[in-house]
Amino acid sequence: MGDLPGYKGRALRFLQAAKASIGDMLEVRTKWGVVTGTLVPRYLYGDGDHVVLKLKSGYNVGLGLDGLDGAAVKAKGEKPSFSPPPPPKSPERLPRVALLGTGGTIASRIDYRTGAVKPAMSESELHSLVPELSGAAKVEAEVMFDILSENVAPRHWGKMAKRVVRAVDEGVDGVVITHGTDTLGYTAAALSFALAGVPVPVVLVGAQRSPDRPSSDAPLNLVAAVSVAGTAKFSGVYVAMHLGESDDKIAFHRGTRVRKNHTSRRDAFVSVGVPLAAVWGRGGLEYVSEGLPPRGGSFSPRPAFAPGAALLKFYPSMPPGAVRSARRLGARIIVVEGTGLGHVSGDVAKELGLFVKSGGVACMTSQCIGGRVDLNVYETGRDLLQAGVVPLDDMLAETALAKAMWVLGTGAKGDRAREMMVHDVAGETTARTFPG
Amino acid sequence: MAEELLVGLEIHQQLAIPTKLFCACPPVKSEEFPGKFERRLRPAQSETGHLDPAALFEYSKGKSDLYLWNPESSCLVEADEEPPHPLSAEGLEAALLVAATLKSNCIDEVHVMRKIVIDGSNTGGFQRTAVVGLGGSFDADGERVGVQSITLEEDAARNLGEDGGSRRFALDRLGVALVEIALEPVRGDSAHVGAVALQLGRVLRSTGKAARGLGTIRQDMNVSLGGGRVVEVKGVQKLNLIPKVVEYERRRQSMLRAVAAKLRAKGVRKVACRSMDVTATMARTASPVIKGLVAQGGAVRCISARGLAGLLGWEPEPGVRLGKELAEVARAGSLGGVIHSDEFEKQGVTGPEADALRNAMGCSVEDGLVLVAGRPDSVERVIPVLVSRLEAATEGVPEETRAPTDAGETRYMRPRPGSQRMYPETDIPDIPVPGPLRARVAKAVPEDWESTVRTLESRYSLSSDMALKVYDSDLAAEFVRACGKLRLEPSFVASTLVDLPARLTREGVPEAWCSLPALMAALEAVDGGKAAKEAVPEILRSAGEMGVSVGELLASTGREVLDEAHVAAVVEAVVSRESALIAERGDAAFSPLMGEVMKELRGKADGSLVARMLHQKVSEAAKNAGRSG
Repeated sequence: MGDLPGYKGRALRFLQAAKASIGDMLEVRTKWGVVTGTLVPRYLYGDGDHVVLKLKSGYNVGLGLDGLDGAAVKAKGEKPSFSPPPPPKSPERLPRVALLGTGGTIASRIDYRTGAVKPAMSESELHSLVPELSGAAKVEAEVMFDILSENVAPRHWGKMAKRVVRAVDEGVDGVVITHGTDTLGYTAAALSFALAGVPVPVVLVGAQRSPDRPSSDAPLNLVAAVSVAGTAKFSGVYVAMHLGESDDKIAFHRGTRVRKNHTSRRDAFVSVGVPLAAVWGRGGLEYVSEGLPPRGGSFSPRPAFAPGAALLKFYPSMPPGAVRSARRLGARIIVVEGTGLGHVSGDVAKELGLFVKSGGVACMTSQCIGGRVDLNVYETGRDLLQAGVVPLDDMLAETALAKAMWVLGTGAKGDRAREMMVHDVAGETTARTFPG
Repeated sequence: MAEELLVGLEIHQQLAIPTKLFCACPPVKSEEFPGKFERRLRPAQSETGHLDPAALFEYSKGKSDLYLWNPESSCLVEADEEPPHPLSAEGLEAALLVAATLKSNCIDEVHVMRKIVIDGSNTGGFQRTAVVGLGGSFDADGERVGVQSITLEEDAARNLGEDGGSRRFALDRLGVALVEIALEPVRGDSAHVGAVALQLGRVLRSTGKAARGLGTIRQDMNVSLGGGRVVEVKGVQKLNLIPKVVEYERRRQSMLRAVAAKLRAKGVRKVACRSMDVTATMARTASPVIKGLVAQGGAVRCISARGLAGLLGWEPEPGVRLGKELAEVARAGSLGGVIHSDEFEKQGVTGPEADALRNAMGCSVEDGLVLVAGRPDSVERVIPVLVSRLEAATEGVPEETRAPTDAGETRYMRPRPGSQRMYPETDIPDIPVPGPLRARVAKAVPEDWESTVRTLESRYSLSSDMALKVYDSDLAAEFVRACGKLRLEPSFVASTLVDLPARLTREGVPEAWCSLPALMAALEAVDGGKAAKEAVPEILRSAGEMGVSVGELLASTGREVLDEAHVAAVVEAVVSRESALIAERGDAAFSPLMGEVMKELRGKADGSLVARMLHQKVSEAAKNAGRSG
């Protein structure tokens, strides 16, 4: 497609005949008159029957090939270059914060010509998006990868964990990881296990609105994440996102107890079954929960993950073959999201029993999200216990899956793996459930 | 010779469709707002990493925005908490119909754009907008007026004013479908521009897709004088303001050009400006304004502007001065205004103080001085804007966005937005306009509005003047419906719907008392014999005063029409009571007695019937008393 991205079919031939390239000023002759504008790329899924011009007013319009008589290039276009102003110098005595980019909405900016969203993670780009950062910390930014969070896999968790360990070794005061929000909760849980005991705050941060919009939640989330990572008295892995609809407070959630509970709101993330770890306002931390680990201390990370775990959500009429399929696909630990207190149908329970007998580890969580599983209350539960299914108390299903991949990454299997799944490592289970 | 004035009108008309443009919320106005949230918008960068000047100016004010919402009129889409839903098909069809009616060329594939607007009026910091038609024309005031483009866009949130450092907006209006018609600049006087706007409004109404009521149509005007720079005046809500705004801009722009010419004549090519803090110098000033601000912890800065002495307060046309322009800039930046050297004496800044300032600034008596006082951060922010405004004095008219005042003047709002503020709405895929839709729209193009007026004239025997008034009042449909339903004279129906509200509001009756439902209820009462024609104004007043509907009023006060016997009884009673007056004045007693009788009968009897009876009775009584007129 050369320099006519997105164009295909008739539209591509029409533009090739006119020797036009993206960015050229074109005069297109239509049945009703001449339209002058800059040729802009077409979206991937656009049809091959329209040519898109950006008018002088800035508007884009699509002109149908059926109504076009021809086109002439009036002036060759110049590619705009992105040259943000240089970042201001941070005072030397500010805390050092490593900012690791992994992709997602938060670290993107729009390409005005194409409308595409591009990564924006260079230091100068970040500072030009969020000038306040320079007052919060000395930020050392690095793009690790640029992937949408639905493409994040255990190997990425491993890389992130290792990079954090290196940053801690290098003496940073805190680490911030920018991440897409879709699987932010999974990654936060995974890093909580791999980095258990980390002596500095590690804050994962995302955005529900991209930074190309004036209303983006990214700047405030980022400022809060960086400032808390650099100065908080506590350590551990957290997720920082808007507390409500307003641009005033940022909630810090514990990495193993956090869940994305809304598709689009700024305050999509909630802490399940535990209070918020901390709340940041424009003046700094306004609330810090009791019992957070202090900064410092020894640290023996285990930053390896292995696939080989599966998450099965039970549903009415689920065929027992689903368990066999998971096993065939290599699952050595299966986390089940059961109904209510942790139940599945008799058929599926039987199949889980066979999986356990064959050396697999089957764990039970609840699709209720709130509350804990209890396999002693109903007969089905007792059958599951009998079959060797391990109840995971009030552990979130997503956290359990990340933990299973971490357990497998340590090389544990069988009874050892079963034990590790139950033993609390990073606050993934709680002893008490509170009203409200 | 008067310089040529060019005015490009942009008309924004809300569309009458059942939902907003990008969500399923109904376009209704809310009175109460149970929910609120606060946001801070930031300027978004252009593709080259630079910031739009208008966006930067808004951001520099450091304001946050408080949004009030009600679930009856807005959802997460307006709160910028959910991506937009697909563009309303009805909205697109209505906009295409407007385009077709104006003979505009329909776009084959519609691309929704984001236009950056960070004055807080859009929660996303941008307005969604799409061109649906290019070109077109209509006839107005004896000329063919060209259409540049027709866009379909969402309306902004309703501005509820400012509260401290925070702007307040209601989300009910945000997202309501609008069609914007940008006209080619028209030449001519202010009256011509008003006529063009009026005519376009008539064409829009003929489509049946124009929403009604105050605020449903707004005009932006791009005004330039003698081929100079374009000044955008945003949000003129009433048609009758247009000629005033045009005339004010003519004077204002002439003044700016005259100032530039004077500077040229003086040999000043660049208005060099310096500014410094003079809080200490002005510590013991006699100026009450500055004294008060300094007492509150305010800072005072002084700007010197080369060669501007005498030109800041110069008024070559009535009511326009460069100094006034500067004060507007300061007010847009949350300060009270400025004090400039041409009005030092008036503002209590003494001669020695002025000398001290000139000394401190190192400038001559030829230079102008501008004092700015207030909160230090606000002063700091406004200084660069004032300086660039002063520097522009040699160039005549600066490009900027202005707002109309109620009196038809304009005041500074912000610099004009750059061209870099438009980029694609990535959440909405491009929308092809299919053939069948085009065909449907082409079929729906209405007959021209003049035929509609002629039909009103001939079918209902209205005068051409009244037929036009009915059409312009946007009540033609109601008029036709009322005439079909009620056995009343069409001319009476028309004057009740169109003339009466205007007359009553002139007399100080609130507009709300003459609402369409109230007028219709009154007409129905007349039709049903429950009230006399003459009683309609009184009924509307009483219902309004009592805060009840017309129906409730009639039910509670028993305002039925009295039959002749009752009327005769009242007339006789008054005549016998006032026999002395009749004896004294004879037939001439009619007028005062008519007043007496009507006071007792008001709203319950037909005036002409009362007059006839009273005449007769007064004559009889006068004869009996031996007197006759």
